[in-house]
Amino acid sequence: MIKGCFFDGKTSEKKDVLLYCNDNGMLGFAETRHGERLSGETPFDQVAISSRIGNTPRYIDFPDGSQFQTNDNDAIDTLINDFRDDFFHGLLHKLESAKTIVLITTISLIGFGWLFIQYGIPYGSKVIADRLPIKASQYLGQGVLEVMDKQWFKKSRLSIERQQALLHEFSRLKQTIPDSDYFNLVFRRGSFIGANAFALPDGTIVFTDELIHLTDNNNELVSIMLHEIGHLKQRHSLRAAIQQSSLAVFIVAITGDISTSSSLITALPFVLVESGFSQGMETEADTFALEYMQQHDLSPLLFATMMEKLVVSFSDTYAECLETEKTNNAKQCIQLALQSNKQPENKKSKGVMDYFSTHPGSNERILRFRQSE
Amino acid sequence: MQNNPTGVVPDSVNNTITNKHFKFTGKGLEYFSIWIVNVVLTILTLGIYSAWAKVRTNQYFYGNTFLDGSSFRYTAKPLQILKGRIIATILFAIYYFTTIANPIVAGIILIIIMLFVPAFVVMAMSFRLRNSQYRNVHFNFDKNFSQAYKVFFIPLIFVGCYLFLIGQAEHLQPGDREQSGNAIFGLLILGVMLGIFVMVPWWEFIVTRFKATHAKYGQADFSFSATLKNYYGMYLKALLLSIIIFGLLGAGIFTLQKTQPDEQSQLLFASMMSIFVFPAYLWLFAYFQTKRTNLLFGNLSINGHHVRSEMTTGRLLMLYITNTLAIMLTFGLLMPWAKVRTANYKASITSLDVAGELNQFVTSQEQQQSAMGEEIGEMFDLDLGF
Repeated sequence: MIKGCFFDGKTSEKKDVLLYCNDNGMLGFAETRHGERLSGETPFDQVAISSRIGNTPRYIDFPDGSQFQTNDNDAIDTLINDFRDDFFHGLLHKLESAKTIVLITTISLIGFGWLFIQYGIPYGSKVIADRLPIKASQYLGQGVLEVMDKQWFKKSRLSIERQQALLHEFSRLKQTIPDSDYFNLVFRRGSFIGANAFALPDGTIVFTDELIHLTDNNNELVSIMLHEIGHLKQRHSLRAAIQQSSLAVFIVAITGDISTSSSLITALPFVLVESGFSQGMETEADTFALEYMQQHDLSPLLFATMMEKLVVSFSDTYAECLETEKTNNAKQCIQLALQSNKQPENKKSKGVMDYFSTHPGSNERILRFRQSE
Repeated sequence: MQNNPTGVVPDSVNNTITNKHFKFTGKGLEYFSIWIVNVVLTILTLGIYSAWAKVRTNQYFYGNTFLDGSSFRYTAKPLQILKGRIIATILFAIYYFTTIANPIVAGIILIIIMLFVPAFVVMAMSFRLRNSQYRNVHFNFDKNFSQAYKVFFIPLIFVGCYLFLIGQAEHLQPGDREQSGNAIFGLLILGVMLGIFVMVPWWEFIVTRFKATHAKYGQADFSFSATLKNYYGMYLKALLLSIIIFGLLGAGIFTLQKTQPDEQSQLLFASMMSIFVFPAYLWLFAYFQTKRTNLLFGNLSINGHHVRSEMTTGRLLMLYITNTLAIMLTFGLLMPWAKVRTANYKASITSLDVAGELNQFVTSQEQQQSAMGEEIGEMFDLDLGF
């Protein structure tokens, strides 16, 4: 006898009843107080029993539209076992209630998610980006320079001679690199961005005046050009765009049935992983530059030196020096900053922040080029 | 066969009012197990299982919600949902690819979809309510399409105008902006935006009233007693509060920032202080959500039984903060726990003033509904249902 409620399907009236099932598989009801059987029985195979979900009540639907509802899940399961040979019934509940299965699933889901984000999405994006026509990348890059000009950059104050010398170096580079026709070098004053170089998806490479002021040796700047060309050749911006959008889709797919606002919240921590993507891309661009330099008799030291200058160009020593000199004599200040950086008390240890910045592990990158010498 | 155990229909019309609370009995860990199995099976079946996952999830939440000793039940069939999902996915894919290939055609598709929004709302409400059951009597939605179009007509016109004007504005060249024609154009956009701004409370009121009064339990209609004044009052209060809060915050940051010596540290100070903007925003959001929920549910009644909704801003805010933190820190793994807590809170603040008994509702006969409206609505992120 299973305790529960009966609803006739015509009104919302609730009656407490007992459900019984006799040996030949007939279901019927009995009154709760004395267990007296009420009229009418139904064969077991004509009723529909809802599947078990957690500890929610179970429903037995009768062919005439009436319904029996009970909290006694175990009794219903026993009933099914006795009268119905159905492997699939209750299978989901078995999966959902088996602690070891749930534990293993959770762990493998975390593992799968990590592998997918770390390797699956980057690999997939690379495959897709490589197959898309160059036009796709150029389309993506439309207007990027205009926006940067508006928000960050000012007009370059570089002398025409210096610009032309660098453009000459750049076009010589392009001649030795296949599929580089649409690459293009422009100069801008970075103002508060400082010394930096950018590779935009449409093939434009931006050098800031501040970067060029760091050195007189054009070959050092060529090494930076090579690094940026590496970004362009491997279509990093297109890949990053594909990665970001597929990451969003993946997260929404996993956390699925929640509202959009909370899926955005869920996506937030993945931003950390996201900057890891660009870390990998920096290494790839470095590899391109390094291989080119080794093949074309350029010393990898050029890149290492330039990187060191770039790093110290963000130091306080450099900023103070520029401030006091007022002559804008960047080269002297860089030397000064390099000196002070070499002193042990000023040398920063490898910080935790490394993981969070998009230009990470500068020391490691410099070391890589030094060792290749 | 006849299966009427007692055969007695209660005739006592007892009109003493008893307050019955909704109760939610789900457990975080229990739902976690169901959720994780759903996620894994959805991945393994490349998304097909998601229809079954949706049904099981809804069944879990409905089944754990009790009123007067009986639970609710979700009766949709996974295959219906799968069909709706496939159609919605195909539509969305077509729309998505045309936005890339041909924005003009995509715009036309979007307009067509917008024209169908009222129909989708009716279909989705109908599907959801038809598949909600309590005491073996299902809910319903009166499929009054012409009424739906009347309700949505003016909002759709305004939103359409706005989107059209914005679309036109993108084609303007920066140089054109000085010309006088563009000043009129700018005023037009401003006018439409102002119109939208002023009318939002009214729209929310008529849409909510439409949804509420066309909902049924069995053959009984729901009624909705909130007034237009209530809605304007709610929006006005929220607006005033946000002006006061953000005004004070802005003024505070601005004056304190002056104490900093140079421009650089002033900027730094201001950006540090703006951290306080987020809690203020969250509080306002919780406040508005609370008022809106109470206004909607607190004014629902059916056959003389009145719903009570006693949500409080403080509790909801705490729920938001703890849930958000938990979800963020565990990369979404605590999402099931957060969802159970939310359901628990919502049930705990909702009750029904039962006049007499809940026995007299009579079943109505209705055709099964297609899941298409609901699934399309979900795809295009339309806010359907309550």
